[in-house]
Amino acid sequence: MPLFSTERAQPWLGTIVSIRSDGPRDATSAAFEEIALVHRLMSFHDPASDVSRLNREGHVRPVTVHPYTREVLDWALRIAAASGGCFDISIGRELVEWGLLPHPEGPGAEPDGTWRDIELQADGSVFLHCPLWIDLGGIAKGYAVDRAMGRLLAQGAERAVVNAGGDIRVHGLTEPIRLSVETGADTMPMLELTNGSVASSSGHLQRREIQGMTCGPHVHGIRRKPAPTDRFVCVLAGKCMVADALTKVVMAEGNKAAGILDEFGASAYVHDPAEGWNHLNCIKVANA
Amino acid sequence: MKARLIFIPLAGIAIAGGPAYATVYLSVEQAQQIMFPGASFTPDNRTLTEDQVKAIEKMSGVPVRNKQLKVWRVSTGGWFIVDEVVGKHEYIPFALGIDAQGKVKDVEILEYREAYGDQIRNPEWRKQFVGQGPGTKLQLGKNIRNISGATLSSRHITDGVERLLATYAVVLH
Repeated sequence: MPLFSTERAQPWLGTIVSIRSDGPRDATSAAFEEIALVHRLMSFHDPASDVSRLNREGHVRPVTVHPYTREVLDWALRIAAASGGCFDISIGRELVEWGLLPHPEGPGAEPDGTWRDIELQADGSVFLHCPLWIDLGGIAKGYAVDRAMGRLLAQGAERAVVNAGGDIRVHGLTEPIRLSVETGADTMPMLELTNGSVASSSGHLQRREIQGMTCGPHVHGIRRKPAPTDRFVCVLAGKCMVADALTKVVMAEGNKAAGILDEFGASAYVHDPAEGWNHLNCIKVANA
Repeated sequence: MKARLIFIPLAGIAIAGGPAYATVYLSVEQAQQIMFPGASFTPDNRTLTEDQVKAIEKMSGVPVRNKQLKVWRVSTGGWFIVDEVVGKHEYIPFALGIDAQGKVKDVEILEYREAYGDQIRNPEWRKQFVGQGPGTKLQLGKNIRNISGATLSSRHITDGVERLLATYAVVLH
């Protein structure tokens, strides 16, 4: 008997999203619709997305956004506050400057603007105190995974795995997940995950020299410089969105990020060429 | 939530039939029924002419590698096309549904086969798998289906969709 009735994959959010579930076929279709919606709302590239509208007009007048966008912004600001700005969704400015994102239409981003200039207003709209280039690339994939899983369970699935390019949420089973890190050892690190989420980041695959700096795909939100590129980070959390966002904090801060992980009920495995493997905030999460 | 990190000796892992990661998602028939439920499909394969190839490449900005077009006419209106793009190391077959108005209805990846990364091409690394007989429990791509931390890009597929939309405009519309 097959463990799962369907497994499908579609291209979304700049990666390949796969969904396996024992639910009805319609549930998988509905889950992909959720992912497509998050893609449309939060794309940096699409001029019609909520993010592009904010980057164009958010400093002129409050912009009404979809409740999903609002929820992601709310979490992004919470994680920014907890990490003292190490996670900052206004890093679109640096990513454009380094050629990792295309130059958007509209005004340039304020050189000193940060997440603190984003105001979520009581009526649900969003106002920017100065022009910013918001990029939700560090959190939206995880959120899409959470939304998809929510839809699968609501439509009758009992066991499911949603994987958006390595941001993975598992429900109802134990799933082996290979961690893509080259440690030079003759072993393969594998995670066994039951009912939770994992997100991983490593800088070395996309490492390149830009403006005399070694740049990976991650930005240290406070220093506004590339995060270290030789680290591998894997964050475990209940919500995939939280795991996704916190990989950037651990990537930038390494072992110093343990306190922030604790605040969000998360833990992390970190591999550093100099220090080897480290497990941050392991005990509390194991007992949760 | 429960999680544990384990380290598996590489010598104990088998590569399932070539690529390090291989998942079959849907057959052509399954993809057809998901995109156009209840419809029937009439094969209408085409061979692109040089002029059509040029027009498609100009419109999409994506090179045409294969002049054979696998296409079905959908009884309820629209088209169903099966094509493939080159991933990092392997071909990725995918299906595109185009509705009666010429808009993208759905994209489904039919199969995904990728090497895991640079290490897989390293002969020293591969040597560790030589001589692994039956009874090996773990098979990359079989029971280890998920990978976290790699960069799986969908760029090739979105380029492929652009190319097929241009193909639709030039050949099918």
